[in-house]
Amino acid sequence: MLYFVRRAGFFVATLWAAVTLNFLIPRIQPGDPAQALLARLQGNTQAVNPVQLEAVRKMLGTQDGNLLAQYWDYLGAICTGQFGVSYSYYPYTVTEMIGTALPWTLILVGVTQLVSFAVGTLLGAWAAYRRNSRVDSVITLGSTFVGTLPFFWIALLLIFVFAITLNWFPEGGGYGGGSSPGWSWLFFSDAFQHSVLPAVALLITGPIGWIIGMRNNMVQTLGEDYARLARARGLPRRRIALTYGARIAILPNVTGFAIALGGLLGGTVLVETIFNYPGLGRLLLEAVSNKDYPLMQALFLFTTIGVLIANFLADVTYGFLDPRVRRAEAV
Amino acid sequence: MALLEVRDLSVTYSPRDSAAVRAVDRVSFDVHEGEFVGLLGESGCGKSTLGTAVLRLLDRPAAITGGSIRFDGRNVTTTPEDELRSLRWVDLSTVFQSSMNSLNPVITVRHQFADTFEAHPDAFGNKQGKGLDIGARAGELLELVALDRSVLRRYPHELSGGMKQRVALALALALEPRLVLLDEPTTGLDVVVQRDILDRLRELQARLGFAVLFISHDLGTVMELADRVMVMYAGEIVEDQPAAEMVTRHLHPYSAGLLGSYADPRDEVVKVEFIPGRPPDLSQPQQGCRFEPRCPVAVDTCRTVHPELLPAHLGEVRCLLVEQATDPRAVLDKAAALRSRDQVFAAGAEARIAAEPVLVMDGVRKVYKTRRGLSPTVTTAVDGVSFALRPGQVTALVGQSGSGKTTIARLLTGVERPTSGTIRFKDTAVDQLGRRALRKYRRHVQLVFQDPFSALNPTRTVAYALSRPLRNHLGMNAAQARTRAAELLETVGLSPAEQYLDKLPHQLSGGQRQRVVIARALAPEPELLVADEPISMLDVSIRAEIVALLDKLVRDRGIAMLYITHDLLSARLLADEVMVLNHGVMVERGPTLEVIGQAKDPYTRTLLAAIPRPGARQLT
Repeated sequence: MLYFVRRAGFFVATLWAAVTLNFLIPRIQPGDPAQALLARLQGNTQAVNPVQLEAVRKMLGTQDGNLLAQYWDYLGAICTGQFGVSYSYYPYTVTEMIGTALPWTLILVGVTQLVSFAVGTLLGAWAAYRRNSRVDSVITLGSTFVGTLPFFWIALLLIFVFAITLNWFPEGGGYGGGSSPGWSWLFFSDAFQHSVLPAVALLITGPIGWIIGMRNNMVQTLGEDYARLARARGLPRRRIALTYGARIAILPNVTGFAIALGGLLGGTVLVETIFNYPGLGRLLLEAVSNKDYPLMQALFLFTTIGVLIANFLADVTYGFLDPRVRRAEAV
Repeated sequence: MALLEVRDLSVTYSPRDSAAVRAVDRVSFDVHEGEFVGLLGESGCGKSTLGTAVLRLLDRPAAITGGSIRFDGRNVTTTPEDELRSLRWVDLSTVFQSSMNSLNPVITVRHQFADTFEAHPDAFGNKQGKGLDIGARAGELLELVALDRSVLRRYPHELSGGMKQRVALALALALEPRLVLLDEPTTGLDVVVQRDILDRLRELQARLGFAVLFISHDLGTVMELADRVMVMYAGEIVEDQPAAEMVTRHLHPYSAGLLGSYADPRDEVVKVEFIPGRPPDLSQPQQGCRFEPRCPVAVDTCRTVHPELLPAHLGEVRCLLVEQATDPRAVLDKAAALRSRDQVFAAGAEARIAAEPVLVMDGVRKVYKTRRGLSPTVTTAVDGVSFALRPGQVTALVGQSGSGKTTIARLLTGVERPTSGTIRFKDTAVDQLGRRALRKYRRHVQLVFQDPFSALNPTRTVAYALSRPLRNHLGMNAAQARTRAAELLETVGLSPAEQYLDKLPHQLSGGQRQRVVIARALAPEPELLVADEPISMLDVSIRAEIVALLDKLVRDRGIAMLYITHDLLSARLLADEVMVLNHGVMVERGPTLEVIGQAKDPYTRTLLAAIPRPGARQLT
């Protein structure tokens, strides 16, 4: 019990640190976003009119007052979900922008990550269970081969074959021109059509790491004395594979999975750019290239919180799965 | 018909990238119902492989390549795994070498028992049908091995090494097997704990009547526990005699060599012998007697004629000389006479002259504070210890695991600072040295580690390992260091040195590696050597060799040595003075013979009582 309380405390502390850093870092950076915006609007040659500057400041809601007061306002704003107005998508708020993009990423990448992990772990365990058999060779060699192919190459190949040559699927975007987001059958089937290629691309490369990790871990655990002793005790093969092999071998993968989930946003930039997919990754790319500070800041904060939540969940599940960790921390 | 009948069993390792090795070569033996059989041999002689083969647990690249294993008349040599499963553990159970790792770390002890019972629904205990109360039965089993029932709820990592091994033993007895195979079951455990477990095992064996095949290189223990002892060498059984006969009337020169490496430290004069050389490379075809290159009494025919295992005395022996001799014992007497002097290492009762101490520890106390959660724990690792180390003398530091021996070594080398008290090296106060001064100080204090396998960087050559201290501490250039490294290798008996300089650690045997570690410790010409269990990982047959080497170096070079161990025999052989540590407190201290001969402290007596007495059981 103490273990979980400690993990939760640790989570809250890191969360606070992340939020604070997120506040501080942009303020340490030189330059004034309002000036930058005006300069871009007018071209660099003209001098900036102080009145215009003030107007832009007001429009963007740039804060005044000392750092502490700003910090307090910032904390309040975060708790109520206000991240300000997007510079590049004015007058939409950052919250709205993220709200629109989030479901796309969450569904596409979240689902493919989960499936990749499940498939990868199962295949890896199967390969280890049938070690040195043909199944093992096919799985291991196959995944090593696919693992050497760059993701973007696979993605472009998929687009070339299935979108351009065969014309089975659209080559990009989240939904087609004929439909608009809403609770309609047309939209859902259209969105599904659009998600097939990016999902397939992610599913081809996603499980590789899990397969190899799981297989190697499990081959090792099955070679340990406890597994040999289980065999000497006459336990059924399946039972040894599950309780004395997979059950222990999966532990490092659980942590790996949580970290991968946390890093979801960063990893989606590539796939969403290639497939022109309206998710968080593309939003981030646009925010960065447009110097859209509020949007960037909010996205970074989201990423950090995502990583923290994922790590917290990993710690908690790890505590359930591995009694050694629970004990070592709890005493 | 015997319970276990092994006939002409061969096991071959066929790795993909090197030559096949026949690790077990046409071995035949029986184990009868209720019999306690010991299997003795150096590491690499094939005894564990033989055990694994009998258990039918061999994994690739090892496989049974000939012969048969019959259990209770049933041939199980090639029985498929599915059929074998129902026989496993019911007939033949086992306790593995490393108890540390033989329990599943993520499930409770109870769960491991439950797994076993569930896998054998028709076996003992389940006879009443579904009425078996797993908790009650497992609890009974734990009580058999002197563990509390509450252990059932524990996870393996919550248990000490000794407790884990007891659980493993209880697990082995779960289905009341007829034969239990024990492969070095207590290696790595504390001597006192070891003793306790073995006594319990012997008692249970007598009470429950199961047969035991006990595989070990621990001569004293095997001789004391077993009814019959088999000696294995280079994949073959070379002698098989009742234990009492093996102690006093063994016939094979190899058995004699092994037994020569054992002595009782309580004797007035202690003498140990070692067998020079290494076992043959079994990937090469063997001709003649396999022990011939190391045999002190070998004759020409030994080189060409491979001896058979033939009845001799009360058992069987594989030796041409014994075969031909009218009085087999004469062979051994001749062997003893022929043995060269440097193969014998003896320690008498005489004390050596005391010199000015190089290192003095005075009233040293070391307290560790660990904070976990809100309540800090204070552990006093060393409490008020005082002693002096003198040049040319060996001081043994004896004590159980956790008694503070290693902490003292760390304090001596300046890795840790004492909480109170002083450590003085000549005129230097070690406890107050700064970083730079410590570096200088370490030149004078060197360490020899327990595990020669992890003490050397596996990717660096011997020459490199030796050149580091020479260049760091003595400021030599590469060429000088190499010359000096060669000299050092000669000093530790690795000769000719050129043959070893460019070898990597894995190309050397355990004994050779430990010699390299010793050479490295000698490199900066230290005045103080701290040897932490330097022989406990080595084979019995070469331990004496390393002890003799250490002894010679200390005497010739006037080095002071702190010899940390829990092995009283080597302490007796090497040390001038013995200190006994218990829970951080020095409980006994004095000249070696005095401490070992007339131990006053109860803990020292427990340690002494834990020393096996070959043949003692038969006499009482």
